[in-house]
Amino acid sequence: MMRTSTFLLLGASALLAAMPALLSAGLLNAAVQMLIAALFASAYGLLAGRAGMLSFGHAAYFGVGAFATVHAMNALNGAGLLPTPLLPLVGAGAGLAFGVVAGWFATQRSGTAFAMITLAIAELLHALAPQLKSLFGGESGISAMRMPAWGLSFGSTTQVYYLTLAWVLASLALLHFHTRTPAGRLTLGLRENAHRLRFLGYDVHRLGVSAFAISGLFSGIAGALQVLANEAANYVVFDAHVSASVVLNSYIGGVGVFLGPALGAALMSFFGYAVSDATQAWLLYQGVLFVIVMMFMPEGLVGLGATARHRVRVLGPARALPLLAAGMLAVLLLAGGTVFLVELLQRLCSQDYRALAATAGAWPPVTMFGRSWAAASAATWAWPAGLLLTGGALMAFARTRLLAREAQR
Amino acid sequence: MSGTILGLHGLRKSFGETEIIRGVDLELAAGERRALIGPNGAGKSTLFHLISGHLAPSAGTIAFDGLDITGQAPQRINRLGLARSFQITNVFPGLTVFENIRLAVLRQQPRPTAFWQRVDRLPGLREATEQLLERVRLQARAAALAGELSYSEQRSLEIAMTLASDPRLILLDEPMAGMSAEETDYTLALIRELTVGRALLIVEHDMDVVFSLADRISVLVYGQVIATGTPDEIRQHQGVREAYLGEEANAQVPA
Amino acid sequence: MDTLLFGLLNGLIYGLLLFMVSAGLTLIFGMMGVLNFAHASFYMLGAYFAYTLQHALGFGPAVVAGALLAGGVGAVVERFFLRRVHHHGHAHELLLTFGLSFIVAETIKLVFGNFPVDYRVPPRLDGPAFAIGAQQYPLYRLLMGGVALLMFVLLYLLLTRTRVGIIVRSAIHKPRMVEALGHNVQLVFTGVFAVGAALAGLAGAVAGAFYTTSPNMAVETGVLVFVVVVVGGLGSLGGAMLASLLIGVMTSLAVSVDRSLADLFALVGAGAWADSVGGLLTLKLSSLAATLPFALMLIVLLLRPQGLLGEKN
Repeated sequence: MMRTSTFLLLGASALLAAMPALLSAGLLNAAVQMLIAALFASAYGLLAGRAGMLSFGHAAYFGVGAFATVHAMNALNGAGLLPTPLLPLVGAGAGLAFGVVAGWFATQRSGTAFAMITLAIAELLHALAPQLKSLFGGESGISAMRMPAWGLSFGSTTQVYYLTLAWVLASLALLHFHTRTPAGRLTLGLRENAHRLRFLGYDVHRLGVSAFAISGLFSGIAGALQVLANEAANYVVFDAHVSASVVLNSYIGGVGVFLGPALGAALMSFFGYAVSDATQAWLLYQGVLFVIVMMFMPEGLVGLGATARHRVRVLGPARALPLLAAGMLAVLLLAGGTVFLVELLQRLCSQDYRALAATAGAWPPVTMFGRSWAAASAATWAWPAGLLLTGGALMAFARTRLLAREAQR
Repeated sequence: MSGTILGLHGLRKSFGETEIIRGVDLELAAGERRALIGPNGAGKSTLFHLISGHLAPSAGTIAFDGLDITGQAPQRINRLGLARSFQITNVFPGLTVFENIRLAVLRQQPRPTAFWQRVDRLPGLREATEQLLERVRLQARAAALAGELSYSEQRSLEIAMTLASDPRLILLDEPMAGMSAEETDYTLALIRELTVGRALLIVEHDMDVVFSLADRISVLVYGQVIATGTPDEIRQHQGVREAYLGEEANAQVPA
Repeated sequence: MDTLLFGLLNGLIYGLLLFMVSAGLTLIFGMMGVLNFAHASFYMLGAYFAYTLQHALGFGPAVVAGALLAGGVGAVVERFFLRRVHHHGHAHELLLTFGLSFIVAETIKLVFGNFPVDYRVPPRLDGPAFAIGAQQYPLYRLLMGGVALLMFVLLYLLLTRTRVGIIVRSAIHKPRMVEALGHNVQLVFTGVFAVGAALAGLAGAVAGAFYTTSPNMAVETGVLVFVVVVVGGLGSLGGAMLASLLIGVMTSLAVSVDRSLADLFALVGAGAWADSVGGLLTLKLSSLAATLPFALMLIVLLLRPQGLLGEKN
């Protein structure tokens, strides 16, 4: 097992290193954002997945890292004290410091109250930021320039990509190392039974703050990397939707596995980039996927692979594979039907369409997937209805058969 | 080994209007095995919560080996050498048995919260963990998840984790609850073995266990200790028989 | 003096509105241990439902319909979503309701657009009630306060004087016992959830006409509602009322104070220095009004972590 995973990791790293040769500048930029999202999600996963502490305001640490870095970029101006490649250290420091302070408060409570406190801390920053213009730059934010260092100009996307990749890989390695340290094992203890840890002689509050701080540190690095890539920081980085998306990404990927959040973030980031031109409802799809994962696949997408393998092992490939294939087909049908429905509704509810319909007095046709559809005709609505019904029926069938077979064993 | 290891003086605990512990005085000698018995609702678990720092008393003091530990935090009390087990198994269910014990033993390392070295590189940690595993006879289950153990295996794990800090005083809260006769005998032997040289305060309902294990017995009724003595003394004690058997039964039983 | 009175009244009424939303959340949390992240979404849904129906039904009936529809959505959420993941634990339920709140917000953006809608107070209710000094006090604000007070009284009576209320209160403490006595605890849970949602929806339908109705409503109010329950004490209705009023009055009064910390320093002669330092010291209290609830929450956490009227656990 160890051999295959190391091989996979090396292969993945090699592939990542080869990206600038394979991708266009635009895609490469998207890849940079994907890496940053993956790091942010991994930092989040340390706290939420391993320590079991659900944070809903993690944008705060990302943002603090971002602003600290942009100020450092402007203040130091490439004066050699801190060359560009080492600037994420500023983000790390700021994330760590703020993580300690915020963590100290937040870990006074646990569970639900903890979650709400983290949310309120982020909202506090979000409300305060526009008022402190010297720190956060107001509406237009603060910009800075990447300065040349170590013989490189850092002007091209390729160089930014490699800088980001290096920091993300190093950070992931450190995060993984942390899981093997006593501190990392104690983090698991926090999740499993913080109460007992107390009676085993541990200062549980301290442990919680430490986990929070480390998560803040790496979130700060992610924020710093974003500022280096975009050469600007804006207080919208404290927005609720930044905190929301790291939660969604991490759980969709699956917080039980080390690379789960990173994979979830990479996937969502990629899809967001790929389809954001094609649809306005991308965030809605992400939310629906998240709810589906929480209801039916609590281990996340990473867990899907494991459950599938388990099923094949238990039932034998002859029985399991057709049912799994049926399930996948059902998922495709349901997804297709949902997308059709949502896209149709989005067009019908848009302002332009409503204006058009008002003047025309009837429902004009809509353009979707490169074709024209009659809005009021049954044929149009039959599509989503049919897809959803067949998908639903097939899914129900596959599930009942699977469960029945498993019960027989 | 002489000297008092645990001293409770005038201990009281109220929850709102209800007073659960109504003035408890108790002294435990180092190395002594004391059983704490009494009817349900007498306050035995509450007493344990008070001693281990889970609850702060409303009045009175608790002294551990001469040190005043009244109202101290549980982690501090544990560090001083007092460990407790729980009536409802209180382990790390999603972690392996090995990991459970390791987390308990880890506390004795000089740098238990280190983040710069791997946990399996800490000197002596693996050995100490394996030793404890063997003493509670769970080596075969080392890789199993704690949540998947059988009930009595979990109780053994519970005891192992309590012992990990090499405590001078152990509080065991109904370690045999829900066990079959076989399991009870096994666990009794285990407890006897593992508490040599340590003071033990054990709450138990199984009278056979109590009479065979304890050097002395304290009887807690309605938040007060009504009797302390050797098993024989307690067997004869008027007040104890009344508390357990009622006055009429007492009248019928020959002295 | 007039500004003070105005601010006080505004604050009390806003606090009452906050309470309407937090009361449902507190009840649901006390009973089911679930913190419903989507609770403020019911607030938003109430506003949007009322807005959609107001031309067809008229303002008053639309408000009622909005509340009922929000309650209906609440019942569906509890029955088909929450119940399914109940066995996974509280964190899971929290995450699920978080996802649902996200979906509601995005769906509203989809259907109504990512900008405020023109949901306004109807002209006949849009006049002055009475005068305080030289200023007129709006009638609609009083109406909002009145609805909130009425709801509070009805809820109190329902919980303490009726049979249903006794069952609900018992189910909060000992659901299994209540079930053993033959009551359908599942139905009680769904019912409480639906009523909580309807209350939030009513608050939204009423307040949305006065304040802005936009897809951001849920986030803005939601965070405040969470602050209320942390400050007041999780599960305590009295605490929720106290915290709501406190936060309402505090924010409202602060908005009218155009002074900053520098002015305070000026009293001891250090005004010039404070001005030169700038930053936080020269920020006017009125601009900081939105951050005050969070500051209050952090202070409460420091001094009394279980909340003002909460229980230590």
